[in-house]
Amino acid sequence: MRRLILLWMLVWAQVATAQPVVVSSGPDSVSVTIYRAPNRDEDEALDLGNLRGFALISETRTVDLPPGPVTIRFEGVASGIVPQSALIFGADIREKNRDAALLSERSLLDGFTGQTVTLRRTDPATGKRSEESAVIRSGPNGVVVQTSRGIEPIYCSGLDNDLIFPGVPAGLSAKPTLSTLTKDQTGGRRTITLVYLSQRFDWQANYVGELAADGASLNLFAWLTMASNDDTSFADATAAAVAGKVNREDDGTGSTDEEEPALDRRYQCWPTRDAMMEAYAVPAPAPPPPPMMMEMSSPMSARADMEIVVTATMRAQREDLGDLKLYRIPMPVTVAARAQKQVAFLIKPKVKGVLIYRAQYDSDDGDDLDTVKQLFRIKNIKANGLGEALPAGQVALFQQAAGTRMLLGETSLTDKAVDEEVEIVFGEASNVTSDQRTVARGKNWTLQRIIVRNANAAPVRFEAEFPAASTDKNFSKFSGRMVPKPGKLVWAVTVPANSTVTLNWREAEK
Amino acid sequence: MRAIILLPLLFAAPVLAQSAQRQSAQGDVSVTIYNNNLALVQDVRQTSLPTGRTTVEFPDVSAQIRAETVTLNGTDFGIIEQNFDYDLLSPNALLKKAVGQTVTVTTTNPATGAKTNERAKILAVNGGVVLQIGNRIETMSEYATSQIVYDSIPPNLRARPTLSVTLDSARGGTRPLTLSYLTPGMGWNADYVALFDERQGKIDVQGWITLNNSTGTTFTNAKTLLVAGNVGAQTQRQFNGRGSGRRVQPGTETGSREQLGDFYVYPIEGRTTISNAQTKQVSFLDVAGVPAKKAYEFRNGWMGSVDEAQSAASVLKFSTGKADGIGDALPAGTVRVYMRDTRGQAQFIGESGIPHIPGGSGMSLKTGDAFDVKVQPVMSERAPVTLDEWERAVRWRITDDDGRVRTTTVEVQKQYWRTKMRYIVTNARPVPVTVDVIQGGLNQWYGWGDTRVPEESIKGQQMNADERWWEVPVPANGKVELTVTYLTRW
Repeated sequence: MRRLILLWMLVWAQVATAQPVVVSSGPDSVSVTIYRAPNRDEDEALDLGNLRGFALISETRTVDLPPGPVTIRFEGVASGIVPQSALIFGADIREKNRDAALLSERSLLDGFTGQTVTLRRTDPATGKRSEESAVIRSGPNGVVVQTSRGIEPIYCSGLDNDLIFPGVPAGLSAKPTLSTLTKDQTGGRRTITLVYLSQRFDWQANYVGELAADGASLNLFAWLTMASNDDTSFADATAAAVAGKVNREDDGTGSTDEEEPALDRRYQCWPTRDAMMEAYAVPAPAPPPPPMMMEMSSPMSARADMEIVVTATMRAQREDLGDLKLYRIPMPVTVAARAQKQVAFLIKPKVKGVLIYRAQYDSDDGDDLDTVKQLFRIKNIKANGLGEALPAGQVALFQQAAGTRMLLGETSLTDKAVDEEVEIVFGEASNVTSDQRTVARGKNWTLQRIIVRNANAAPVRFEAEFPAASTDKNFSKFSGRMVPKPGKLVWAVTVPANSTVTLNWREAEK
Repeated sequence: MRAIILLPLLFAAPVLAQSAQRQSAQGDVSVTIYNNNLALVQDVRQTSLPTGRTTVEFPDVSAQIRAETVTLNGTDFGIIEQNFDYDLLSPNALLKKAVGQTVTVTTTNPATGAKTNERAKILAVNGGVVLQIGNRIETMSEYATSQIVYDSIPPNLRARPTLSVTLDSARGGTRPLTLSYLTPGMGWNADYVALFDERQGKIDVQGWITLNNSTGTTFTNAKTLLVAGNVGAQTQRQFNGRGSGRRVQPGTETGSREQLGDFYVYPIEGRTTISNAQTKQVSFLDVAGVPAKKAYEFRNGWMGSVDEAQSAASVLKFSTGKADGIGDALPAGTVRVYMRDTRGQAQFIGESGIPHIPGGSGMSLKTGDAFDVKVQPVMSERAPVTLDEWERAVRWRITDDDGRVRTTTVEVQKQYWRTKMRYIVTNARPVPVTVDVIQGGLNQWYGWGDTRVPEESIKGQQMNADERWWEVPVPANGKVELTVTYLTRW
């Protein structure tokens, strides 16, 4: 079979290249490493209709090469391939070409401009067909041919006229294809590794946390959600995802993957008053598209035609890749075209932390302490049951309450390394409030007070944060014990059940 | 009737040359491609000229040809005029040009299929067509089942934009005519693949020239020359510096490549066909085992606190020198960096754009953010201070009653702000690292100069008036604090 294809290619592409052509129709094995969209914020969800990340695809292919310089055509590569990124191991390559000239009605007409083709006329009454020679005298936009009758715009009448071409112009292919030209070599069976970047993949870390009833620990689970918008499916692939921010120079706008516009045979047939009308000069008004079709293009319903696979018994393994983190799925999986796949990468049943109510001094908003927020703080170390790199992503926090599972809130995390403090700020408090007032005022100074009230039936931990140094204010004479943290002074206190605590301080203008 | 007589002549040539491949009318083509989407095409065509005045057409020139840059060289002729016709042939154009002329209207009887041909005069083409057939006035619209057949194509309606030159030839015969012109739609840049081996501290670098052709025309069997440089161009947008987060210390070594004035030239071996809509890559550089090292860099743009530690940039450092580096000049492009994972498979770790780099340059390319190496800058103190230094604030000139003139000056003590910054550098990697911490914004506003650094926990270097730089060594899984006190006028 391979030989047959080779021979056929030899004849067919003779004009374009003098070298023998070997077609590699598909990979023997493939691995797909998905990178997060570099500029997608950690709280921004995957946009399945428009994935802005990318993937590194590594394919192993076997080819039988005749000796001498050989052209190898790689078929079945990802449609979003960035041709400049292609790397080839196992063969000495002199030249790499990516031909985006596709075979279509338009490119056929373009290729045969000025040449003789066959015009087939069908008699509308009898159905009888007749063929005659015609020379294409125009480009593909508005076809004009020359026949024995004269100059005819054949697509501009109600008659059934078709053009038949004697062959396919060289260099037109069904799909964008990567081809390479090797240096002079001895021939034989070769194993070639083809590595390239491809657009329109993305992945996301999704954390699901379940807070224990006592608020002292968290059951943390994390999904690695991978998605592909590509047309090509990769079966039995080694799949991995890379966490951390990777520098990219282009955001995929230079990708050569464009749809060939369909030929409008009636374009430029009749004079019309404005260009808008010209664009709509179709033979008969088409019926409006059914609602299904209209929805297909919107990102929301892109979900509808995507297969979503959820796998939980398998866990992705982490390894260091330079300054990045690589999460590898331990067994081969299929990275399907236009699909989303989820694999667990972190299962930590009891992560110790502290539930805190916090108010921060906000110089942007009225120079006061802001509203009280609830957060769960974890020191990311092994002793607390964690000590794992946490890639940026969204967090959903739940808690069992009154026998059912309740959503406490949703938030997001930036990339967190081991030993860092992780704060999951999940919502505004309603039962713990802080009330700030000015109790005395002098020339460019004031005396401030907050009263923290706890309406819960249990004691809570409360923190008020002040900047350690400010460009316009001096804080002094705190009535409580202040703990320094990087850039901050923190008043940390336990508020007993159903009671209040108070802090006084002095604020002076600098 | 006239049309039928003409036909055998028209058909003769194409029918004989019937093949799937349209023959290009190009001759011996050489293409010089510049970085900034500009190419110089020279096309030597063997052309037969009669004696006297004649018009020569040049099909298969770039569809984006800049006609004003065309020059035609050859012997024994003078140029009378040069035309670039871009009025394209389409049914609509044909119809508009046929106003006042006589055409054939073929009508098919939908029931019997019988065809009738009638001669008609096109009176007007305004929204629809008004025809005179004998003594009747008829109209035709989009949905007509009749068809207009024209006798001929008006002379300047073309299938493609066509360049034609009218010459006065002193003698008849075939001779080479050299057509040369500039065209946008072709450009090139370099793409580098760097495979980094962190343990060995080495990179293998491959360089590829990436050529793009979007001119709409295929250049067959062309002698191709690439010029690394931006030539001044009239209508093109200037190529601006690419990339971000890279620093280059330009070198002074001369590369081994051919030079054209100030530019390096990269010829492509042999001849090559540059197809339309093609991205072509040709290898031009392949070096192995170049010493390279990874470094970390963090730049704080202004003095302030951040709530969460921020990742330092991962930087790859190497040289383009002959002794300890790539040993060549590098044309502008993108460097993609790969690294092998634990299974030995190449994985992508980031890319960075580079401008044209002379030989002997020190390169420092940002590939991405380090997951495990972070810096948290915080402000720990800010207070006004008055130095024991005086500066002249005002100068007065006083004239006394007796006419004597005195000058006095008023001096004030210098007023400063003391800002203490802490840079908390953490390393969660199992190996020690060194992080270059840079504080910017020290002297960026006019009149706010004279920034001083009286204390710093690690000796820093002033890179320029605006930036100061410290090398902070951090042990494995460790944390180091750099503290710096600044005195500023603001």
